[in-house]
Amino acid sequence: MNADSDLPMLMARYQGGDFAAATALIHRLSPQLHRFFIVQLASRGHADDLLQETWLRIHQVRHTYRAGEPVLPWFYAIARHIRVDHYRKARRAAAREESLEEIPEVAATLPPGSGRTPDLKSLLAPLPESQREVIEMLKVEGMSLEEVARATSSSVGSVKQKAHRAYQELRERLTGMGFGTGHTGGLS
Amino acid sequence: MRDREIDEILRQAAQVPHDVGPALLDRIAGSIGSSLRPVRPLPPGWVLAGGLILICAAVALAGASRLGFYGIQKMSAWERALVFPALGIVLWLAAAACIGEMVPGARRRVSPGFLLGAGSLAVLAVFAILFHDYRTDHFVSQGMACLTAGLLNAIPAALLSWLLLRRGFAVNSLGAGMAVGTLAGVAGLAMLELHCPNFQALHVMLWHTAVMPVSGAAGALLARGAR
Repeated sequence: MNADSDLPMLMARYQGGDFAAATALIHRLSPQLHRFFIVQLASRGHADDLLQETWLRIHQVRHTYRAGEPVLPWFYAIARHIRVDHYRKARRAAAREESLEEIPEVAATLPPGSGRTPDLKSLLAPLPESQREVIEMLKVEGMSLEEVARATSSSVGSVKQKAHRAYQELRERLTGMGFGTGHTGGLS
Repeated sequence: MRDREIDEILRQAAQVPHDVGPALLDRIAGSIGSSLRPVRPLPPGWVLAGGLILICAAVALAGASRLGFYGIQKMSAWERALVFPALGIVLWLAAAACIGEMVPGARRRVSPGFLLGAGSLAVLAVFAILFHDYRTDHFVSQGMACLTAGLLNAIPAALLSWLLLRRGFAVNSLGAGMAVGTLAGVAGLAMLELHCPNFQALHVMLWHTAVMPVSGAAGALLARGAR
């Protein structure tokens, strides 16, 4: 993402107490963080809550960003922490059944051979959580393998492996839905 | 279906604009703006790593000076040349792992679990190469004394390391606890190598090496409890 080249400068100004820089970061990064939560099967309202919580945490720990380090992995590592933490709390509260019910519902919106491009959430829904977040960061947000590895506290090799497995799963699924060689031009 | 086609489908699916309500963004900006002050960023990684290594070295030396430097005095030059550099490498890796766990988005050179397992095995291998006295005199009593001394030495190392890293933010508290526990365990183990003159192979391989995994596991358990 070339538009992200001024993010380190905005972060430095944010750490210096510049409100305009903080607002610019919020407006720039919130849509992609929100989509990150949505793709992880959160509802819109739930994603709103997670986004707010993420920004509050970002604000509390903004001093942990070090100049010269990539910005996006820092943001995503915190967003991921909030999501995992929230998921853990939700599990404790026995809300697990809700998320299990959500997956077949999403799958049902994609009848085989429908021939239209599924939305991102539906497309990635059948993937395991760890693969879903890797594909979202790598292919949707355009982060590099190294950046995704940093954001997910894993190695580049592990990220590659997850992406490879995710593509295998997506290939099977999309082929079953009638997508294949020569069909990509018809997607819209 | 080719990867490029999947890329294209993902690209098209992601092209749908994803907006967040302006009211929500204003609310977030408002909540942040009310407490916006300049902050001092964390120091560079090498400064933190250097600080952690110094803490562990100082704690190990302080512990050994209290109990006596009998171990290092009894060691041959060859044994010293292998044991302490090996501990130094594990210490450096543990310090890097601690920083990786306490700074969001930092490069992770080695995972805390792998470090604990591979580090313990590496130290075990060094001891197995160097010590060949397979007698087991007072195996349990002397062993428990060494394990206890090593762990007691690891406690101040862990507390001081945590103090140095307190401004960090652990995105994975379990991993951070394990990394700090392992680091402190290396400090405890280094103290034992400086102090303990019992070079019976099984004593060193079991009771000395055990300080590291026990300390690492204790760190992980404490972090899990605090979560």
